[in-house]
Amino acid sequence: MVNGYKMAVLIKQVPDTSSAAGVNPDGTVDRARAKRMINPFDKYALQKAIETRAAHGGEIIVISMGPPPAMEVLVEALEYGADAGYLLSDRRLAASDTLATAYALYKAVVYLKDVDIVFTGLQTTDGDTAQTGPQIAERLDVAQITYCETMEIVDGRIHASRIIDGGIQKLETAAPALITVANSASALEHKKFANVHKVKALSRDKAEKEKRIKTINLDDIGAEPERVGLLGSPTVVGKTWKLGEKGGSCQLFKGDKPSHEVELLVDALKGGDTGVEEYVA
Amino acid sequence: MSNFGDIVVIADQIQNDLRPITFELLGAAQTLAEKLDVKVRALVMGHNLGNIPQELIHNGADSVYVVDQPELAEYTTLTYRRAAISVIESFEKPPHIAICGATTLGRDLAPRIASHFETGLTADCTELDIGDYQHKGKADPSKVGTYENCLYAIRPSFGESLKARIVGPWKTPQMATARTGALIPFATDTTRTGDITPITVKFEESDFRVKVVETVREVSDAMDLIQAKVIVSGGFGLGGPEGFDVVKDLASAFKESAVGSSRKAVDSGWIPYSHQVGQTGKTVRPVLYIALGISGAIQHRVGMSNSSTIIAVNKDEKAPIFQFAHYGIVGDLYEIAPLLKEQFKKSIAS
Repeated sequence: MVNGYKMAVLIKQVPDTSSAAGVNPDGTVDRARAKRMINPFDKYALQKAIETRAAHGGEIIVISMGPPPAMEVLVEALEYGADAGYLLSDRRLAASDTLATAYALYKAVVYLKDVDIVFTGLQTTDGDTAQTGPQIAERLDVAQITYCETMEIVDGRIHASRIIDGGIQKLETAAPALITVANSASALEHKKFANVHKVKALSRDKAEKEKRIKTINLDDIGAEPERVGLLGSPTVVGKTWKLGEKGGSCQLFKGDKPSHEVELLVDALKGGDTGVEEYVA
Repeated sequence: MSNFGDIVVIADQIQNDLRPITFELLGAAQTLAEKLDVKVRALVMGHNLGNIPQELIHNGADSVYVVDQPELAEYTTLTYRRAAISVIESFEKPPHIAICGATTLGRDLAPRIASHFETGLTADCTELDIGDYQHKGKADPSKVGTYENCLYAIRPSFGESLKARIVGPWKTPQMATARTGALIPFATDTTRTGDITPITVKFEESDFRVKVVETVREVSDAMDLIQAKVIVSGGFGLGGPEGFDVVKDLASAFKESAVGSSRKAVDSGWIPYSHQVGQTGKTVRPVLYIALGISGAIQHRVGMSNSSTIIAVNKDEKAPIFQFAHYGIVGDLYEIAPLLKEQFKKSIAS
């Protein structure tokens, strides 16, 4: 290994559903109008890579698969401190399910050559499957640590903790590995990314941007077109339907005497056959 | 007998603690199996499994394949992957369907298995069914046609207001993971019998690339969110991490209670991700859900709107949470939460 670790961080641009823009009254999202953002989990993935580079040296390459506007998240990642970015953009990728997406991203990681650690977010806020990371790991034939909360490298061994149902599993492995990152309070601590300010001007500097972010397509990475997009996806959406809106039935208590409102509420609840009584300690 | 392969349920167990999702998967699998006229095969991996295979039969498995080896005492992706793939490949006919829990185990393992078989996998389903599918897509003419007896993998999509039915009839097994609490468990019947087949799996050196140093279960103090009967959650309206003291205090007024959180509070670093309720966190359906300082964005709503009773406390009367809560109080949560605790104790416990 040359100096430090060669790391790939896979990031995705997703609609920002915490903002009202682009969210239809029925709760569906209008992707064209919605605000766009970097998938929140991917930021934690990037943070883990930045911490690893700070401790051991190395190089961080971000990859995003998506249409041209996804360039925005690559620029943002470079502002946070990534060294280089690749936008994998190709019309033939449209409608890829997780298996097809994982194939394309796997080819992109192989294209980068000799990647030691692949980081991804635990899941995306739009697809919400958490499948793509493990599916990439399977194709790369590497170890994986999903739901990773903390990680550090000691004497060349990766020590990590992952969330399990009702607890934590502490694991040890070696690169090459793929890690999907969940967030945890300890990882956040309102720490600012180290290089944010230094490269803030990057988004305005076209020449610098072009030097550090490259757009690649299926041919560049040697991916077979019939294994991506509709052709390469074993699943399709058979049907979607809207659910009936509930809502409108909230019994609202407001007034200037909170103790009175609370009393009214608990009384209303008591009369409502809710089964809550059984669980009051 | 049917032409289809059987249905495989991958049992979800941590340190010989069979997770509730297993019974729900078996319940759903029996319903699917009846429609297809096939059998339900449970696959359980672990070490010193004792009575677990029998328990699986009592809870809906027609037969059980057991891999009970010391290498499987603790869950690791690569050892369980090897065992699951070996067992599935040993079947005389490939399974028509294979399902796992959408748990930290199933979501880790299922994608590796699906990728190995190059088959489709639908995440986090809330319903499973069987039906026909007519494919009209022109991208690949060879796929056009009507397919019978497909797995309908049904999941909420982008906010609970849309549901999507995902199908993938071209490959087997058709795979899905299902969320805990969504499917109806099989009614336990201790008189049921079935074949239990032990299988020995040959591991490779590379299967041991990840070592488990320690497994820490927090069953004692922190009630599992998914199993909690009462959940008190805090959001960005708490204003800071210390706000969770108030949340915890209110939760302590209830039995089988747990503390939840909105994404924004987790993103702000106030509380660990394991407490997050919502689209990117856990889906819960407790008897009572109390939301303190949570605005009720779709992201959060998806994870808790099926709670039996929802109480919301928010200072903004226009907060979306008041559109789907059952009871709401407009006001300062720091003032109201302690009053709620007091009132619940006074008026109900006594």
